[in-house]
Amino acid sequence: MDTLRQALNRLRALFFRRPLDEELDAEMASHLDLAIEENRRRGLSPEEARRQALIRFGGVEQAKERHRDARGIPALEILLQDLRYAIRQLRKNPGFACTAILTLALGIGANTAIFTVINAVMLRPLPYANPQELVTWRGNESQLDVDDIRAQSGSFFSAGGAVNPEVMDYTGGTEPIGVHAGYVDAGLFEVLGVPAMLGRTLLPQEDVKGGPRVVVLGYPFWREYLSGDRNIVGKTIPLSGNSYTVIGVMPERFAVPEYSVDLFVSLRMVYPEAAAYRGVHFMRSYWRLKPGITIARAATGMAAIDARLAASYPSEEKGRHTALVPLQEWVTGEVSSALWVLFGAVCVVLLIACANFAGLLMARTVSRRREMVIRAALGGGRGRLVRQALTECTLLAMLGGAAGLVLAKFGTDLLVAAKPAALAHLNSIAMDISVLISGLAVSILTGLLFGLAPAWSSTRADVAGAMKEEGRTVTSGPAGHAFRRTLVIAELALAMVLLVGAGLLIHSFARLRSVDPGFNPSNVISFFIQLPAARYSEIPKQTSFRRELLARLNSLPGVDAAMVGDPPLNGSEVTHSLAFDGRPPVAEGDQPEVDTFCVMGDYFRVMQIPLHAGRALADADREDQPLVAVINEVMARKYYAGENPIGQRIRWGHEAGPPRWMTIVGVVGDVKQYSLAQPAEPAVFTPFAQSNESWRRWMGVVVRTPGASAGLIPALKAQVWSLDNQIPLNRIQSMDELLQLSLAERRFNMLLLGLFAGLALTLAVVGIYGVMSYSVSERTHEIGIRMAVGAGRSDVLKMVMGQGARLAGLGVAIGILGAIALTRLMTSLLFGITPTDPATFIAVAVLMVAVVLLACFVPARRATKVDPTVALRYE
Amino acid sequence: MGDSKLDLLQGTLDLMVLQTLAAMGSLHGYGIARRIEQVSGDQVLLNQGTIYASLVRLQQRGWISAEWGTSENNRKAKFYSITKAGRKQLTADAAYWQRLSGVMGRVLAMQDGGGKR
Repeated sequence: MDTLRQALNRLRALFFRRPLDEELDAEMASHLDLAIEENRRRGLSPEEARRQALIRFGGVEQAKERHRDARGIPALEILLQDLRYAIRQLRKNPGFACTAILTLALGIGANTAIFTVINAVMLRPLPYANPQELVTWRGNESQLDVDDIRAQSGSFFSAGGAVNPEVMDYTGGTEPIGVHAGYVDAGLFEVLGVPAMLGRTLLPQEDVKGGPRVVVLGYPFWREYLSGDRNIVGKTIPLSGNSYTVIGVMPERFAVPEYSVDLFVSLRMVYPEAAAYRGVHFMRSYWRLKPGITIARAATGMAAIDARLAASYPSEEKGRHTALVPLQEWVTGEVSSALWVLFGAVCVVLLIACANFAGLLMARTVSRRREMVIRAALGGGRGRLVRQALTECTLLAMLGGAAGLVLAKFGTDLLVAAKPAALAHLNSIAMDISVLISGLAVSILTGLLFGLAPAWSSTRADVAGAMKEEGRTVTSGPAGHAFRRTLVIAELALAMVLLVGAGLLIHSFARLRSVDPGFNPSNVISFFIQLPAARYSEIPKQTSFRRELLARLNSLPGVDAAMVGDPPLNGSEVTHSLAFDGRPPVAEGDQPEVDTFCVMGDYFRVMQIPLHAGRALADADREDQPLVAVINEVMARKYYAGENPIGQRIRWGHEAGPPRWMTIVGVVGDVKQYSLAQPAEPAVFTPFAQSNESWRRWMGVVVRTPGASAGLIPALKAQVWSLDNQIPLNRIQSMDELLQLSLAERRFNMLLLGLFAGLALTLAVVGIYGVMSYSVSERTHEIGIRMAVGAGRSDVLKMVMGQGARLAGLGVAIGILGAIALTRLMTSLLFGITPTDPATFIAVAVLMVAVVLLACFVPARRATKVDPTVALRYE
Repeated sequence: MGDSKLDLLQGTLDLMVLQTLAAMGSLHGYGIARRIEQVSGDQVLLNQGTIYASLVRLQQRGWISAEWGTSENNRKAKFYSITKAGRKQLTADAAYWQRLSGVMGRVLAMQDGGGKR
């Protein structure tokens, strides 16, 4: 009760400081009056009476201070007082304040932005029930494999499911559009453990061949195309020529681990042929460990299943080796190495910013040495002075931190806007409270940590000695100089490491850009269509659609040539095993795999892929003509070394029935099929007209135009829809765009690391400039003497520049050692160069030294302008 | 100790103030300070100003109350008087001090006698 009342009274005293002070003054005045009066009555003179009264009273100010301490909360009052003083100091010196705040803001901003992404991508658990139990593996599976594994893994997996991303046509809107459909196994919903938001998910009895046409919608599709209709369950929507009943809508936060999927249908229902085919492994499967089962235990179980499958189905499953990976690791694995490198980079930027911050404080401390000395002489206790100095730098740090968080907000938005494709399925990258708190904590810690050393050294002043130096500027002494120099060398070294990292990425990117893709991407436009199974299940119908479409496109004005066939870098791939005529037969599981392309029209002329031997595929290679194929250079070298491939015969290794031998009629140049960074694989091109693969209903359409091609898009749509107005055109883009897209992630990493390295360099240059400027202004007197005894301007210039060069040299040398130790961590991000690429190291070192010398030149020139007569008088 | 004055132990001033007010009724700060000086026979080293820290502390705890009034020779001054809670506290503190000083006395006496035994 008493303590509560006292606490309230003390708090009150904090807010009513002025009236309380005034009352105290009045009370003390009355005290003195009373005392003087009594002294007068004892017969003292007025002056003596007053003197005696004051002596008995003691120090008025001390008494007031004691009174304030007793009535209020001294610690808080001192803090407020220090804060007021600090703000006054900062406002008196806005240049210093802005530099310090901006320095920290950049460091903390960059750091927080990257950490936000890392937090969202890697640290936040996946949005599934008990995500730590989920595992997957590198290889894909067929539906039959998934069924077998599920049946045999009951002792260690509690659930399993699979999905294959496909495209379906949604024709319920104004134009037909292609939507991302997940062809799933009903187990997918069970294994991920997320219930539907409306309705329900797929039931096992619906997931069968000939099952009902039902669909589960993803939240974004439901909201965008069905206006978020809450009564959608039970209604039907048109998909790829059939009508599907909606049975459920998934919640907003639900997404399949690796893909964007708009809606989910049963694979067995929609594509029973593929579901019944063991040989093509096209489904991503996810599995849930039983509680208490370790991943190692499950791996042992899977090894046994692998062995059984390989024994039962040697031609499809030979050489199975399933390596289990936790799902979280799998999902983040693709981006994590780049993100960690970037995070390392921003940590270095933060370190440099902190070093700069400490350097700035140090310089300021030195210039305020006299003030400190005077305050100490007037009785300011050391603890009190340190506390004041710390208050000031913590205030600075917090301002810097706050500004940094604002920067981070913008930075995160930018990062998310430019996020690489590997992050595309994450739609919830945003700063959360934990990031905010850690950002603020980092800034406060920075203030305390990097402010403590300067604050401490500032109060270590030898009062008597410093006061004796009278008018002479109080210099920082050798220890302070050494500290600042060490800071600058550290900054330069760290910046050097980052610059080398960025340089390696830029060098890699330049190498990649100069790689010949093997085709000419200019003035080529492509799109993809899927022939709906409902109307185009037979090959003759598909062939006549393709032939008619090509005829119409080729007759369009503004079209040089059109062809049907998957263009390079589009991300889809079909591989087949291969058998050679006239060579000893090979067991089915051991046959080589090659890329296969079905084409119609002049693929090689449209893509401008050079013909090296023989002839290209022609319109004359029709369904009733001998089967032909064209192979690429890698294939010719690998399988026909020292032979002429023209005239040789090949066939697909897995085919049943009588062999369909195809005669090789030509050899074309190699093309970067998957990315510029990956070497070309052996490839076989065959005419669509001679294909017996009716499942090839997904196809690219590629058009070469004489000039820019963007204006052609409406005409292309009109031609497709004049043949079938239910078919959407997907991914309409130019080959140049496709090429850029394939480089997007590398470009993203390069730009970010480049940005951070630039930031680091800027901060380090500001740091060395500060040290050199300060050193020159401090040595004005000395420089004056040197010039008075005959040193020329060039000698002075040499002296100052030499000092800068020594710092730069040391920084660069240490930086190179650090870079050699660290850059191997980014090997996976490089292309065509080693992590210790000498050219990059030399270029960066030269750049670094040049920039540093430039930064030193300004103060050095100022030194040469010193007028000896003025300098010698200069105090 | 010789001629030098007694330095006040922490907390003793508060107790002196309480006791003075209990004995004298309402008094202003100067009056309290003078009274303590007189009673101690000028043995206490007291800067009169320090009394005000003690007064505000006691007031905040609710042991004394204060109001502005007029002194016997017509000067405005702040008068303090002890409250009921203050009297209770005084009783407790006085008992504590008496016990402590008794114990201190015995302890010191024992040391004095220790050499003779």
